[in-house]
Amino acid sequence: MIRLEGVTRRYGDELAVDDLSLEVAEGEVCVLIGPSGCGKTTTLRMINRLIEPSGGSIMVNGRNVMSMRPEELRRGLGYVIQSIGLFPHLSVERNIGVVPHLLGWDKQRMAERARELLHLVGLDPEVYLGKYPRQLSGGEAQRVGVARALAADPPVLLMDEPFGAVDPLNRERLQAEFARIQRELHKTVLFVTHDIDEAIRLADKVAIMRDGRLQQFASPEEVLNHPANKFVHDFVGADRALKRLVRVRVEDVMRSPAIVQEGSEELAFRVAAGRRRFVYVIDAAGKLVGWMDTADLEPDMDPAEALTRVDPAQASVRSDASLRDALSRMLGLGFRAIAVTDDKCRLVGEVTFAAVEEAMTEGDEHITNIAEEDAG
Amino acid sequence: MSDHSLQTRFDRVALVGAIVTLAGATALPFVELRPNRLVPGTVHSLADAGVWMFATWGLVALALLSAVAPSAKARSAASSASAYGLVAVLAWALGEAASTLLVGQTSVARVSIGSGAWVILLGAAVIGFAGGEERKRYLLRRLGPPVLVLAAVVSAFVWGGLDDISLAQEFEVRAESFWQLLAGHLALAGAGVALGAVFGVPLGLWATRDRKVRGVVLGVTGIIQTVPSLALLGLLILPLSALGNAVPFLRDLGVRGIGAAPGLVALTMYALLPIVRNTYVGLAEVDPAVVDAGRGMGMSSRQLLMRVELPLALPLIMEGLRTASVLLIGITTLTVFAGARNLGILIFEGLGQFAPDLILLGALPVIVLAVVVDVALSALAKRLTPEGVRE
Ligand SMILES: Nc1ncnc2c1ncn2[C@@H]1O[C@H](COP(=O)(O)OP(=O)(O)OP(=O)(O)O)[C@@H](O)[C@H]1O
Ligand SMILES: [Mg+2]
Repeated sequence: MIRLEGVTRRYGDELAVDDLSLEVAEGEVCVLIGPSGCGKTTTLRMINRLIEPSGGSIMVNGRNVMSMRPEELRRGLGYVIQSIGLFPHLSVERNIGVVPHLLGWDKQRMAERARELLHLVGLDPEVYLGKYPRQLSGGEAQRVGVARALAADPPVLLMDEPFGAVDPLNRERLQAEFARIQRELHKTVLFVTHDIDEAIRLADKVAIMRDGRLQQFASPEEVLNHPANKFVHDFVGADRALKRLVRVRVEDVMRSPAIVQEGSEELAFRVAAGRRRFVYVIDAAGKLVGWMDTADLEPDMDPAEALTRVDPAQASVRSDASLRDALSRMLGLGFRAIAVTDDKCRLVGEVTFAAVEEAMTEGDEHITNIAEEDAG
Repeated sequence: MSDHSLQTRFDRVALVGAIVTLAGATALPFVELRPNRLVPGTVHSLADAGVWMFATWGLVALALLSAVAPSAKARSAASSASAYGLVAVLAWALGEAASTLLVGQTSVARVSIGSGAWVILLGAAVIGFAGGEERKRYLLRRLGPPVLVLAAVVSAFVWGGLDDISLAQEFEVRAESFWQLLAGHLALAGAGVALGAVFGVPLGLWATRDRKVRGVVLGVTGIIQTVPSLALLGLLILPLSALGNAVPFLRDLGVRGIGAAPGLVALTMYALLPIVRNTYVGLAEVDPAVVDAGRGMGMSSRQLLMRVELPLALPLIMEGLRTASVLLIGITTLTVFAGARNLGILIFEGLGQFAPDLILLGALPVIVLAVVVDVALSALAKRLTPEGVRE
């Protein structure tokens, strides 16, 4: 648990951080966000005392950081910086082992831990343990940076734009992996970014800062639905409705579709008599094969001819994807619904455009009010 | 790309080396015979070296072949063989020429090495280093061929008459003092580098930590470098002799205006610049993100220095030590003017007496030492470079 109370940091006459109070509960991810220069990095680095606060108090796991030796404090906090900062002269294995080594772990335990962590961040230990940082791509280096921060299993993680230096595609992948790891490990995380989408995607709580001052500290839904002031309203952006979709998982709004098994397509005639126009076709293992548009069915044709075969990876979304992923896939393919599959490409449901629309408009009433207030 | 394809057709450097060797072997005097020191000598060509002349031609031909060899590997093998072979053959050719020409002469007659022989040696060096840095490294990595060449040169002394060459006779006359002077040279230059490192590395480190110190340290070492060594030596003699006179204890330790002390002080100051500067640059160039990560992970300043900063700066520090060593081996010769005893004595005595062989006896070992130290420290620097940051 991290608690900041009235924390201030002064540079000359300037206040880089001004009377900041916030609390990150155990196992929660708090994303600190705001425009460049608003004091995010300063806040983070006061927690591990790379910067000394000018005032206020900072508690980590119930202890005042000022009462601890800086080195001891830092060894208990995982730290990831934007520029990664892997040690170029050390192998991946020894990079991960830096803090364990400082803590005096034995060799065997460090080696095991390095393997375990590489697995966790999705890198094959056989391939990566012996590599050097210069042999890694940006995304791989970021993963190693995260593994290194996790090495001594610190309960608290401080991450300063950890995915800032990778391309958008890799960033989304890293975010998804971070979300998965966090579901597994339940760390207390303070995560700095200036990417609002990243914040909404990963945060349990969002802390929005401006010129050293906290503007709003609330859940992403709250920030989207009830921005505290005009700054937050503008910062979150006009596509608030779309952003809300990031917070909704496909599996929460999907419905069960009409399904027939491959080889028994004539059943589709019967389905067509019902309300559903599209019928999904699966194989014996439950894997998505394709679909049939029952509007194409003629009474005396072979129903198998109406089957459109698809590549499940392209034409479906995973059940743990966000509604925004589902929407963009639908728009990309030009459908008004999309199949939902599990990790083995088995059909588990269907998401319709109507469901997306519904999720988008939730809470809009209030937003309209604020916008009117601002205008007035 | 086009340059590369041109290089694959023929090796220009090897070609130049072959031409140089050819010129040395044909157009210039190979050796000079003087019946005694006063009489002007007569020059003689490579033809006086008997069969060794043909061996030389053969090796030049091999160098020419290497220039047009189809594969890089063949080219490398041929030019290396040619270069090493030329050095070995040259030793035997000189011995043969000397012993042939001295037949029937009095014991004061001398055969000295002519300009042609030196040019052949130069040509061999060019051929050997053809192909650039890459080849140079390849050439120096293998110990076998240089040892064979050394054996050939030594055997030319013992059996080939090379000991009849004036340079060798000069050496024989002074053998005992030669080894002492060589040892003195090594000791003084080595001590200069060691002291330079003892003071220079911490100074460089200090300069990275303190802005004011940085200005002073880098400024002062820069000024020292611009003062000619001889002048620096002169400048040091006065204060040191004053100090020695004032404090008898220090004089007993060897602090006098004359002797090894002022030389050593001057050499140390000279060694400082490359060492301080390279230490400073090496440490300053460590990626700040890496230092930040180290501190953020809980390393103490000391751990950060020992585990991160110094290992990353080591290649540049070693480079500074290498530069300082090569520099000091050269300018140590000048310390003889302050009374130090080293190879410089031979050089300056030779200059005074107008005795080229004596100059060579001093200068050749200095050159060889400089090259050997250069190569050895490069190799050591390479070994000490952490694997992850090697080129
Ligand atoms: N060492 C320093 N001396 C003076 N001012 C500083 C110093 N470090 C930071 N500041 C100022 O403090 C403010 C906050 O800086 P900080 O690095 O925390 O911003 P940030 O929110 O992390 O920005 P970014 O998104 O660009 O990383 C900035 O206005 C900066 O100029
Ligand atoms: Mg920052």
